[in-house]
Amino acid sequence: MLSVERVCVRRGNSATLQDVSLSLAPGRTLAVVGESGAGKSTLIGAVLGLVPCTSGAVSWNGAPVRHCRPALVMQEPRSAFNPALSLHCSVMEPLTATGTRADPDRLAALCQGLEITPDLLARRPGQVSVGQAQRVGILRALIAAPPLVLFDEPLSALDAVTQKHTARLIAALQREAGFAALIVTHDLGYAAAFADDIAVLRAGRIEELTPARAFVEAPQTDYGRRLRDAAFALGALERVA
Amino acid sequence: MRTVAGLVLRAVVVLTGTALATFSLLWHAPGDPALAIAEARYAAIPPAEVVELIRAEAGLDAGFWPAFLGWITPLLQGDFGQSMVTGRDIWPELLTAFSYTVPLALAGLMIGLGLSLPLAYAATRRPGGWRDRSAVALASIGAAIPAYWLGLLLILLFAVQLGWLPAMGARSPAHVILPALTLGLGVAAALTRILRSGILEARNQPFLPAIQRRGVASRDIARDHIAPHAAIPVVTVFGLELAFLLEGAVMVEVIFARPGLGSFLVSAIETRDFPKVQAVVMLTAVLFVTVNLVTDLIYRRLDPRIADRHA
Amino acid sequence: MTITATGLSACRAGRAILHPTDMQIGPGECVGLVGSSGSGKSTLGHALIDALRAGGQSVAHVPQSPDEALDPLRSMGFHWREAERALSLAPDPDRQGALFEALHIAGGDLGTRPWGWSRGMQQRFVIAMALIGTPDLLVMDEPTSALDPVVAADTMDLLDRYLADRSTALLLITHDLGLAARRVQRLMVMDAGRVVEDAPTAQVLSAPATAAGRSLCAHRNWLELPC
Repeated sequence: MLSVERVCVRRGNSATLQDVSLSLAPGRTLAVVGESGAGKSTLIGAVLGLVPCTSGAVSWNGAPVRHCRPALVMQEPRSAFNPALSLHCSVMEPLTATGTRADPDRLAALCQGLEITPDLLARRPGQVSVGQAQRVGILRALIAAPPLVLFDEPLSALDAVTQKHTARLIAALQREAGFAALIVTHDLGYAAAFADDIAVLRAGRIEELTPARAFVEAPQTDYGRRLRDAAFALGALERVA
Repeated sequence: MRTVAGLVLRAVVVLTGTALATFSLLWHAPGDPALAIAEARYAAIPPAEVVELIRAEAGLDAGFWPAFLGWITPLLQGDFGQSMVTGRDIWPELLTAFSYTVPLALAGLMIGLGLSLPLAYAATRRPGGWRDRSAVALASIGAAIPAYWLGLLLILLFAVQLGWLPAMGARSPAHVILPALTLGLGVAAALTRILRSGILEARNQPFLPAIQRRGVASRDIARDHIAPHAAIPVVTVFGLELAFLLEGAVMVEVIFARPGLGSFLVSAIETRDFPKVQAVVMLTAVLFVTVNLVTDLIYRRLDPRIADRHA
Repeated sequence: MTITATGLSACRAGRAILHPTDMQIGPGECVGLVGSSGSGKSTLGHALIDALRAGGQSVAHVPQSPDEALDPLRSMGFHWREAERALSLAPDPDRQGALFEALHIAGGDLGTRPWGWSRGMQQRFVIAMALIGTPDLLVMDEPTSALDPVVAADTMDLLDRYLADRSTALLLITHDLGLAARRVQRLMVMDAGRVVEDAPTAQVLSAPATAAGRSLCAHRNWLELPC
């Protein structure tokens, strides 16, 4: 279980994260929403240990997070791959890095779940669509069966239809594999539909942390309300009678 | 303002390092400098006492740090000292050498700019077209031809065959033409390629289609949006090009038997004339650091994002 | 003035990416052009702008992100003057003041370069700039996808309010049917370089006639909430 306790990150004179605490159990999904500059990416960096915490602690089952080999799905799928390598090579990197043998059954099962054909994996990043590249990015994240997967704006480069389709694929794989998912997104609709809990990050602080359904029905803070109203105004969430 | 102060501080650190490096290189070079001076002065192998006398006179017996301080202190006040060989002041000689080299370098630069600007512009009118490809080919050939060969070709054509221009020496203004051409063609070759890619990159910027759709005339777009972006890499390269220019000028001077920094440096090294070599190196270093400082400042003015990024 | 364009088409590398298309938009009408990525909606938008401009009609364009609209080396004031000059308009502080007021950017410093402004303000500045000459048509290509949702919603609301009593028509190009459905009265659905549906918004939402339309409707929003 992921535990973030009172983490502060300072850069120069400004605090990018202040007193952030959250926890995430296996099989659960936590969405962190907030505007750009709120510290969402810093939070991912802090969880992965890439950004040193000024104070506080991040741990997975009491040990440093990197011991559990967490995976990261990035925002720009095509630039997340080495353009000179076939997608298959990139996908296998998490396994070669740890010296593990690839399990063909697992690869086949994941490919099926993500609707990836073997022919697609033979191509290079420049030869696939953004949506395909992102599904391969998710495949690479899941290939080594990590207990914790971080998603940094995983859908924002995709179009509306592909977004919803990909979100469903991720959720189905999560039900099967039971990993904990930390999703950073600015899309409250995605968070509301697929996360168990929603944390609103603003200016480096967690303003509220509520179960997703409760948040959409009645946000606790003023900013939470504005976020929800914006999601309605942009058609991400729909009111029905 | 803080970044400007930082840049100046960086320049000072670089210059101090250069001074230390130059001094210790010559200090630790094999061979006895006192003996070399004595040989150069008397054109014969002198007795041991004379060598010792020279060693003491030049401050070479005091050890590295006193000798370094003894050299750098007057240098900071603009006193380059005297030649160990002739005993004459270095500064006037150095000034004379520069008075030959600087006009040559500037003329080369002018020729380089005068050729590369229109060439690069013509090349980028239609990227991949015949003009572009011939310009790139021309620039590649120009960059591949060494200066000494090009210099000889020019001498053969203009001085020997046609007899239009003088080849050797520096007696009249006409004498600068062939050396400057040799230098300028090399500069033009390098600049054309950089200007070409700079202009192409500036033309590919993501906001240009929108500005075009706003109805802005393409002439105004070229002047207001493409030129400033193309200027940024050019300014950067200008600082680097200075290195090429001085180095090239020294070589061209040797080819055309011109007086100047080239012959000054060669003779100083041959006679192990420490103060002269150090004077040339330090002055060149100051020149470099100053030019780099100025390009950095212009760069920041052109694109203030750079200053922001470093702050 | 009703906007009419016929036979809009485009090819890339010998392949038609936009099949011949006719368009008609009434004065003050808000039309959504929706489709998945690669369906040719941006291409149609560009072709429409070029055709209308060639025909002497006034049409303005707002690209997806301010990075695609503003030169980072030029000040905001420069961009504004340049846009006025391009329309052969004399500088008019009142017009500028009114537009800045309407789009809530009156506090912005025109002397700074774009990155001195927040992204939301940059995008509203670009919209204000597009409205300088009161164009017959404003074409917006994914105007909100580079912005934070709160800022995006505010921006669309401000624009709706500004356009409400004016004759400027709006063509909203987006992959997001949910967004378009909230903002426009008429929807054009694109698929593989063709407009396959063109109907009032309510009709497309309730009874999409094509596969592309049905797919967009099915993935229209994330959640439907009873409230």
